[in-house]
Amino acid sequence: MDLSEANITKQVSKDDAGEGSMARELIKINFCGSTPLLWRTEDLKAARELGFVGTLVGSLARQPRQNTRLGRPLELLLEEGRLMADMERAAVSGLDSKSEDPEVSPAVVEQYYAGLENSFQEQSALALEDRKMTLTRVLTEKQKAMSVQLCTARAGLAHCPQERQFLTADWPMPQDERCKCRFQVFKDLRRRGFYLTSAGKFGGDYLVYPGDPLRFHAHFIAVCVSMDESMPLCDVLAIARLGSNVKKTVLLCSSGESQDDEREEVVYTSLQWSGMA
Amino acid sequence: MLMSRPVVFPCHNINSPSELFEARTRSHKIPVRGQKDFLPSGSDQQRERLQQSLQEHWKLVSEERVERLGNLVKAVWIPSDQRVELLSPAGKFWQTMGFSAHGKQCLHPEEALYLMECGNLQVFYKDLPLSIQEGYETFLCSKTMSIHHYKVFGHLKRLGYVVTRFDPSRVPSQYERQLNLAQSRERPGRRLKRKRSLSPPSGHTETQEGATAMGTEEERDGNREEEDMNPMPEDTNPKLKDTNPKPENIHPKPEDTNPDDTQMAAQDDPSTTAEGCRSWWSKGGSPHPDLPGQSQNTGSPRWDFTSISFPDLGSRHQHPRSLASPDPCLLPGAVGSVGPCDVVPWLNRLNLREVRMSRREQERERDRDRYHRDVNLDREVQRCRNWTEYRDLLERRSRRRHRDRPAHLWEGEVTPLHDPSQVCLTGELMDKISVVKSTQLFEGASSLKCSNEWRISFNIYQPDTVAEFKKSTPGKPYSRMCVCSFSGPVPDLQTLKVLAFQSGDVPVTYAVEDHGDISFYCFKNFQIPKDESF
Repeated sequence: MDLSEANITKQVSKDDAGEGSMARELIKINFCGSTPLLWRTEDLKAARELGFVGTLVGSLARQPRQNTRLGRPLELLLEEGRLMADMERAAVSGLDSKSEDPEVSPAVVEQYYAGLENSFQEQSALALEDRKMTLTRVLTEKQKAMSVQLCTARAGLAHCPQERQFLTADWPMPQDERCKCRFQVFKDLRRRGFYLTSAGKFGGDYLVYPGDPLRFHAHFIAVCVSMDESMPLCDVLAIARLGSNVKKTVLLCSSGESQDDEREEVVYTSLQWSGMA
Repeated sequence: MLMSRPVVFPCHNINSPSELFEARTRSHKIPVRGQKDFLPSGSDQQRERLQQSLQEHWKLVSEERVERLGNLVKAVWIPSDQRVELLSPAGKFWQTMGFSAHGKQCLHPEEALYLMECGNLQVFYKDLPLSIQEGYETFLCSKTMSIHHYKVFGHLKRLGYVVTRFDPSRVPSQYERQLNLAQSRERPGRRLKRKRSLSPPSGHTETQEGATAMGTEEERDGNREEEDMNPMPEDTNPKLKDTNPKPENIHPKPEDTNPDDTQMAAQDDPSTTAEGCRSWWSKGGSPHPDLPGQSQNTGSPRWDFTSISFPDLGSRHQHPRSLASPDPCLLPGAVGSVGPCDVVPWLNRLNLREVRMSRREQERERDRDRYHRDVNLDREVQRCRNWTEYRDLLERRSRRRHRDRPAHLWEGEVTPLHDPSQVCLTGELMDKISVVKSTQLFEGASSLKCSNEWRISFNIYQPDTVAEFKKSTPGKPYSRMCVCSFSGPVPDLQTLKVLAFQSGDVPVTYAVEDHGDISFYCFKNFQIPKDESF
């Protein structure tokens, strides 16, 4: 475990060190309500390279009517977004909900339709080259045979409201102890090189993967508990039973101030169901 | 430091016309994902496989939707009404989605967004097409249709279910279900003919309710092809009203029929008065019950009932043919002598036939009479001089009978659940002494108030009903969906009852949405089985 952990942390730190974050483009996080989303593929890639996996929640363009593989947008955990903003790798927009629609200048509309016409001409030319007779006939008749793109991410046309670059201070702050604890645990596990996703279905806070979730199964279910409150025994039993049923180890995580140096540290207790030999 | 600058984003991921052309022959298959490894070993093989998976992943994720312009339905977003109005005719999706408004085909925002994601619809706003991102940010702003609701909506639609918005007023009430009126309730467009079974022969047998309060609903939910656009009246089926006509209301209520009819009917029937009550003893020319000048009797009655004989017309032994005229002083007002009363027509109305009993009945009556003791022959009863004494006697007798029931147990407010001297089946005994009664989910639900947090959002119809599905008569849904999350509270009993009641006989499913992962829960009534061998 230690070896691989070291490998992964090395990988992460290699990316971070060296070039300053100025040269890199910031990951754009757009809020839909209170849910942080990533829409551009390059943002998804950059986030994954930082170790933030998220979940795809939209329809897949290639096959929209199925649920096995979904497409963009990528939904981030609040903790993922916050950490990204902390690391100054992300910019947030869309927090002020009802910004007025800016007026769309007619020039932009013209531009759009000109683009369509141009595309039509080019596609007609390509069809001619291709020598598919039926296609040519259809294409030369009307525009409706041409292909158009339905953009996933905002195309950069003039709809977008004034976008501002937000700093960490503008990220929605955790409201209570529980949120704070969750964030500390997230930061710590991420620092150790684990990949984390949501674990509501498993009765916990995070599913902890030793590597990229595309290739590895989760090992742990992380449950955030308060350092001071006692946990009823039946709750401990319930979560331990659940973990053993899904073949994962339960991690009870608490964040608090370390006794020695007053830094925030996270304490882990693992639960594993085993028999008495 | 906040920087405010107009940002023009480079057009990421916009395909060139040649790319768009190439996209026509793009594969529609999704590659299958391989087996996962357990532990990262740092090996090259693992790293390669990871790279391969990631590449495949990015390829799929980065693909944009490319459609033939002719295949796309065009529409426009109308923010003031929160609806999407179609500009070109709807496709196959119109069978299960959408509604008509202002004579146009429209879609709810979540339906439009889903169709955009499927590549069937292009929604314009201010003359430019909306991207999927703009669709999410524009359409999913409200509390009734947030991104959480949309995720559940999309998930179910992609599985093939028909998902419509829930409307509490369209749920048939329990009474309507009992009478199997459910079909007509879920058909808002039908014009019901109102029949009045006792209306006078004036020809006005039908009335129609105006389309007022239901007007907007009818527009919203009617199918364009449907001819009947008039809504059903709000109150219960008028046919029910006429199954039990009350004797007093022999005339239809004046406000329901033509005013002329009421008057006409009153004139035809001489036996009715303006108040509509019949005078019993007349066929014609009878003293009016409410003669003016009748003196009211005040104070105690001045009649000596011992000397006034009340005729016994039911007696088998006497058959008077006529009754003597009563003393004029017994009659009200200035009536005077009325002469003898001919009793024969009245006797004809009485059933004076002897009851012919079967042999068994005769035997039964004989047995009864054998043990019958006339209470008046009881000496103790004869000794009672008034009702109080008689009641005291009865109490003494009952107390004697119940000597084994101690007063301190049985006479107080709280009595034992069961008297051991009484015979009882074990099963009944168990029922008697069970203090905790099982309850059904619906019990007491009608009086509970709904909290704002919990709300049913959707009706779900199964995928195999899609072929025959009609928006105007959707029928009973398979389930109704309430969207919630793990970060919120578990629904409490009040919520369960209120939502189950709102949903009628359709089960309610709770869809818990957690970062794209959706779990479904439902609560069912359960009866603890009773051992019938008792």
